[in-house]
Amino acid sequence: MLVRRAIFGFSLASALGFVLLTCGTCTPAEGTPIPHGTLELVAENQWIAAGHDFDLGLHFELENGWHIYWINPGDSGEPPRVKWQLPAGLTAGTLQWPAPRRLGTPSIVDFGYQDAVTLIAPMRVDSSFASRQPVSIIAQVKVLVCREMCIPGNAQLSLTLPVKSESPARDTRTRNLFTAARKSLPRPAPANWKLNLDEERHTFVLTANVGHEISQADFFPLAESQISNTASQKLLPVAGGFRLTLQKSDQLLKPIERLKGVLVLSDGRSYLIVVRVSKTGKA
Amino acid sequence: MKRSILYPILIALLLCAVSKVYSAVKAGEAAPEFAAAASNGKSYRLSDYRGKYVVLEWHNNGCPYVGKHYKSGNMQRLQKEWTGRGVVWFTILSSAPGKQGYLTASEENEYLTKMQAAPTAALLDATGGIGHQYDAKTSPQMIVINPQGVVIYDGAIDNKPTTDLEDVPGATNYVSLALEQAMAGKEVTTTTTRPYGCSVKYADSAH
Repeated sequence: MLVRRAIFGFSLASALGFVLLTCGTCTPAEGTPIPHGTLELVAENQWIAAGHDFDLGLHFELENGWHIYWINPGDSGEPPRVKWQLPAGLTAGTLQWPAPRRLGTPSIVDFGYQDAVTLIAPMRVDSSFASRQPVSIIAQVKVLVCREMCIPGNAQLSLTLPVKSESPARDTRTRNLFTAARKSLPRPAPANWKLNLDEERHTFVLTANVGHEISQADFFPLAESQISNTASQKLLPVAGGFRLTLQKSDQLLKPIERLKGVLVLSDGRSYLIVVRVSKTGKA
Repeated sequence: MKRSILYPILIALLLCAVSKVYSAVKAGEAAPEFAAAASNGKSYRLSDYRGKYVVLEWHNNGCPYVGKHYKSGNMQRLQKEWTGRGVVWFTILSSAPGKQGYLTASEENEYLTKMQAAPTAALLDATGGIGHQYDAKTSPQMIVINPQGVVIYDGAIDNKPTTDLEDVPGATNYVSLALEQAMAGKEVTTTTTRPYGCSVKYADSAH
């Protein structure tokens, strides 16, 4: 590992060199070294066609015990950031983040991923998109990798895809990766759920009616500084759902209109919820 | 003989007590009293500096976010500017022995010299006592205390939560902002922010 790090460092030049050397025309790219792991840019489809949006994936593999961060990193750290260099006619959408896990200690709690994670990057293709040549997509990624300590990494990844007029075919080599990545994304809260958020002086109380009793639920706030990351989330099972008490963050100085986040239930499924804050009068 | 057995127990009990009672200090509240040994061999007590502004800077020399502010010279520049204007500046090392950022007094003195850092003193807080009192989460978390002993700022050093040196020049520095406003008799507009950086490497830290 040390040798590999010494050879490739994390400099852009060497990362680029690595990609160019090993990845003239290949798809997907080989994993590029990042501190204590690798990062790979993968495509869902074998080629690009005008008007056919597609997904790219940033697939991180990390050494045992090391982690990277969710979009809200929690008490420390920062999420990976990507800068795209795309051919005209291609537009990158916002990254899609799988539900995170709580990392840390009683006094400092972070949100992130260990082992492996794929962040999906949706790509929009103009209806007029055309190219005789294969096009190259470059992702410049900054990522902080931490265990006991944190190491910032830089990687420049590139992918070359042909352009054809017929509908794109799935790349069988990346099919499983994208299937797994989509499965780990929070899904929208079902329409029949009833969610309510009462604001009290020091807490928000989330009451959820989801149609059945729930014995375990974890809430991950999408925005920083709204709820305390370290405070335990007290769950009370109620008929048809649960009530979850969330401690306000000390950094929450202005009232918020709604709380947005990811709810992970005992069956491991995760849901994106947006709940309007209602004052109970006890505030 | 009895003493030698009792002391470690007492210290352990004290540490337990400290680690149990930590609850966040908020801007607008009284800054908790502390006393600590510094790398320069002297001891410092917060209450001795009533009447002065005091800045607390959480430090870990191996943290890339701290590195951004020392490699760019930003932290040293702030230390010189504000101590030059009568502010007391304590750099605090809350890393536990064996953890990243833990330094002995002589190692810290070497670091201060090498970096041309200029705090009033670097406090050695290897038990994490001061860190937990102030609920310090990250390095470089910053706290500003006014001459009345009230916390007027608690949070990030600036508004660019990255490790990139090029983000230093354009950033809004919250410590300078709070000190400038308070010294001018104005209300401090930003009193609390999310303190970005590396987690403080307390004895219980696993990440």
